[in-house]
Amino acid sequence: MNLVPAKIPTRRAIADRMLQSGGQRDDFVVFESDIGYSTYSYLFGDAYPKRYFNMGIAELGTMAAAAGMAAEGRPTVVCGYGVFLTMRALEAVRSFVCYPHLNVKIFSSHGGVTAAIDGVTHQATEDIAFMTTLPGMTVLVPCDSASARAAFDLCLGFVGPAFVRLMRDPLFELYPEGTEFRIGGSHTPRKGKDLTIAGYGDMVFQALEAADRLEQEGIQAEVLDLYSIKPWDQKSLRESIQRTGALLIAENHQRRNGLGYELAAWCMKEGISLPFAQIGLDDTFAESGSYPLTLEKFGMDPASIVSSARKLIAEK
Amino acid sequence: MTEAGRLVPETRIRQLEQHARDIRREIVTMVHTAQSGHCGGSLSASDIVAALYFDVMKIDPARPRMPDRDRFVLSKGHACPVLYAALALRGYFPVQELSTLRKNASRLQGHPVSTYLPGLDATSGSLGMGFAQAIGMALEAKMTGAQYRVYSLLGDGELNEGLVWEAASSAAKFGLDNLVAIIDRNNLQNDGKADDIMPMEPIDRKFEAFNWRVLTIDGHDMAAVVQTLESAAKASGKPTCIIARTIKGKGVSFMEDQREWHGKPPSDIEFTRACKEMDDAEPDCTETEGGRR
Repeated sequence: MNLVPAKIPTRRAIADRMLQSGGQRDDFVVFESDIGYSTYSYLFGDAYPKRYFNMGIAELGTMAAAAGMAAEGRPTVVCGYGVFLTMRALEAVRSFVCYPHLNVKIFSSHGGVTAAIDGVTHQATEDIAFMTTLPGMTVLVPCDSASARAAFDLCLGFVGPAFVRLMRDPLFELYPEGTEFRIGGSHTPRKGKDLTIAGYGDMVFQALEAADRLEQEGIQAEVLDLYSIKPWDQKSLRESIQRTGALLIAENHQRRNGLGYELAAWCMKEGISLPFAQIGLDDTFAESGSYPLTLEKFGMDPASIVSSARKLIAEK
Repeated sequence: MTEAGRLVPETRIRQLEQHARDIRREIVTMVHTAQSGHCGGSLSASDIVAALYFDVMKIDPARPRMPDRDRFVLSKGHACPVLYAALALRGYFPVQELSTLRKNASRLQGHPVSTYLPGLDATSGSLGMGFAQAIGMALEAKMTGAQYRVYSLLGDGELNEGLVWEAASSAAKFGLDNLVAIIDRNNLQNDGKADDIMPMEPIDRKFEAFNWRVLTIDGHDMAAVVQTLESAAKASGKPTCIIARTIKGKGVSFMEDQREWHGKPPSDIEFTRACKEMDDAEPDCTETEGGRR
């Protein structure tokens, strides 16, 4: 599949849309914890300084203050890195954002090992587990600029908590501007009949590359982009696996308690029995290095997906 | 030290003292009924909460979500019996409902949940988190020009939480002079003397160094409490911290300054004894127009 290399990462795309939206609606505010030049929230801050609060290097205080303002009815965005937002500030997210179901939108960069170069302290590889576990939390993971911009609009389009996982580095552009996204939706960037590879975020591109290679072996892989992790698109997944009869989940996250566990439990509950495998960190931390080499080392690169897909096909 | 404020008439002070006594009686009663809850830190804060809810704060129990009402955030959320008692006695909900404390389906959750009960401005109970939310509430008023004030009550043990100091820094940065933090300085926390568990003194100089205005009072001297809360609510460019020196368990002799009464419910015998003491402490009914219930 010929994909256009992206010029900007998803963290920049959502910040660009936030800046643009800031001129269209004056109700929302943005909280930052001193990484505004990294999350690109400074773009909004420069344009709307009275609606931008840089709370210093204090993610817990930032999240709790955002909750306090949201308790006043104010739509509130919090920008930061996944490890700090979903772990250091986790209790504030759980007890003071999700429990009162407040209108706080968390834009969380450095998801998975897309921040491989920064090392494990900066790689959010458990964020999906933490966030999807929280009652009432909506979780989105866009893979490109168009879906990141759409994620902003979807989040600001409803009252309640939401988490958006974003990437440090630019990968590819997949969706034309104007593509429709919805909470609980999915897209199928590649159709196939032999197995379903479901992924989200950067892993959509790894899955598409793997599908290209599988095609050369005569295997037609279908690639499902589950950009909405919670809620997720049960209808499309069911339709896909009923045709393909095999399911491979590719996620840049711990396998344990990631989307794979959710889908496996759903299959069992629904009485769907099929060859199933997971791509993701296998109860281990990654390391610092280049993104492609880190994926390769931890079995999340296209070659690993191809190899796992072959085994699933053999089990059918 | 207090700052010059409205001279509060003696009769008003007596009325507020009566409200504080009523609050204390309801605290002990509800914790006894529930056989669970925190008496000590509720009793130490009763005079402060009485002053806020019956005099200082601009509120309307008939309109608990009134946009320009003053906010109160009980950051030491475990002391919610004092807040529940004040809200009920002030008319937010029936006093009889206090007997449902900590029971299934009760609006009076073990720690305060804003979505459950009219009059609760914030969800709290995890120490430091209420105060940090109060920052956001005060910021909202600063941003929009709304005139409401935000009062947040913290325990002295709560000051151990690093989050308190994140919040204190940001309040000064944004010049939140619409924010008043009240420290219930009873010098006891769960495991012992606050000064032993984690010495936080000098608390006044700490807050001053964080660019707060600091006032220290006797938290059981109603005239001082009312006057200081009023003077704290004046625009000064800085947030205000009131260090209220209090006695944990105040009003029930055997609970006063005793560590174990942090989170212990009274037995039937202890409850009877506490009630007798509180009855004996009541002034002649004819002296107060605030009235006993």
